Amino acid sequence: MTRFILVFTLVLLALFTVEMLVPVQTHVIVPFTGALATLSAALVTPFDPSVVAFGKVLQFSDTGFAVSIEAGCNGVEATIVLIAAVVAFPASWLQRVAAILLGFVAIQALNLVRIISLFYLGNWNMDFFSWIHLYLWPTLIMLDVLIFFVLYLRYLAKRPLPATAHG
Amino acid sequence: MAEANHLRQFLLLVFVLLLPCFALWTVSSGPLAVPAIGFVNSVLTAWLPQIVDTLYVDGQRALLMTRFGETGGTLIPLSEASEQLGFPVNPSVLSYSLPFYTALHFATQRDNYLNTWIIGVLVLYPLMALGLLSVCLKTLMVGLGRALFQQPDAWVPDPNLIGLLYQVNVLLVPTLAPVMIWLWQSRETPLLRNMLRFTQVAGDPPAAT
Repeated sequence: MTRFILVFTLVLLALFTVEMLVPVQTHVIVPFTGALATLSAALVTPFDPSVVAFGKVLQFSDTGFAVSIEAGCNGVEATIVLIAAVVAFPASWLQRVAAILLGFVAIQALNLVRIISLFYLGNWNMDFFSWIHLYLWPTLIMLDVLIFFVLYLRYLAKRPLPATAHG
Repeated sequence: MAEANHLRQFLLLVFVLLLPCFALWTVSSGPLAVPAIGFVNSVLTAWLPQIVDTLYVDGQRALLMTRFGETGGTLIPLSEASEQLGFPVNPSVLSYSLPFYTALHFATQRDNYLNTWIIGVLVLYPLMALGLLSVCLKTLMVGLGRALFQQPDAWVPDPNLIGLLYQVNVLLVPTLAPVMIWLWQSRETPLLRNMLRFTQVAGDPPAAT
């Protein structure tokens, strides 16, 4: 457990520092965040044609209300936490990579729900928007990471330990 | 199979408990933040006495009062100003770790609930205080600009370091710290014992297996 926490902390800090670097922000994080906004709009527009996306902004074309998806709202930090936890936990690298890919999908799926729900909440009531945006959704996203990781642990515990797991 | 039951029970209870925990926290978030605000007030007024006058509780938020006034967008000494420059600070962006941790803690079947919960809360408070300090430094950096960094008798962190501390302590720690404390305190619970026993065997050196 102590080894897990040490490796987890080191990987977490390393990945978080890399994420903060300007080239990474410019070439990875900002385009990814823009893609999230575009995907959110693509999911919503079939049901609500008044929604448009440009860059990392989602907007109602009729009311003019818009949200901008910023750092901390793109699920990248949650993904970094999951990667650090999976890497720190003994397993084969195949299992680790599979867990990271599946976990990324699980986090981003919930994050899309978060973005779309906040977009509609903000158009309805800013007080609810602020409360749910600042406190509830970050908790639910981290809970998503935790539940995925516990399920991963459960999966590992049911399988025989591969020879490469000591790395 | 008992492990599966514990997992189902945890998943159900944690979502059920989130609602009352966050409801209680919402109505009491002001008083809950008082210890952290008091501590950070002591730190800031001792560390930056020429910048910070006081940090005090103002309902659900805190107010960070500086030793400056402002006229026409320019900072002036407080002695020459008619009004004192202050900034609102939201300690709730840090203290929501308390209801999150509480829901995780009480959703997990364990022998002793109260003692370990108190220990967990006592661990969270210094992290909240560190987060609040980061928020205040970032607020002062944005609000005062160069005046913050021109302190002859006090070391002030580099702007990049203030930014990094803010990002880590506001974006990561309030949600990550409750999970880490819960994981540590739950390592011997029926929910996690079998999974972590597997890990300990796998991670231990060969002589220990």
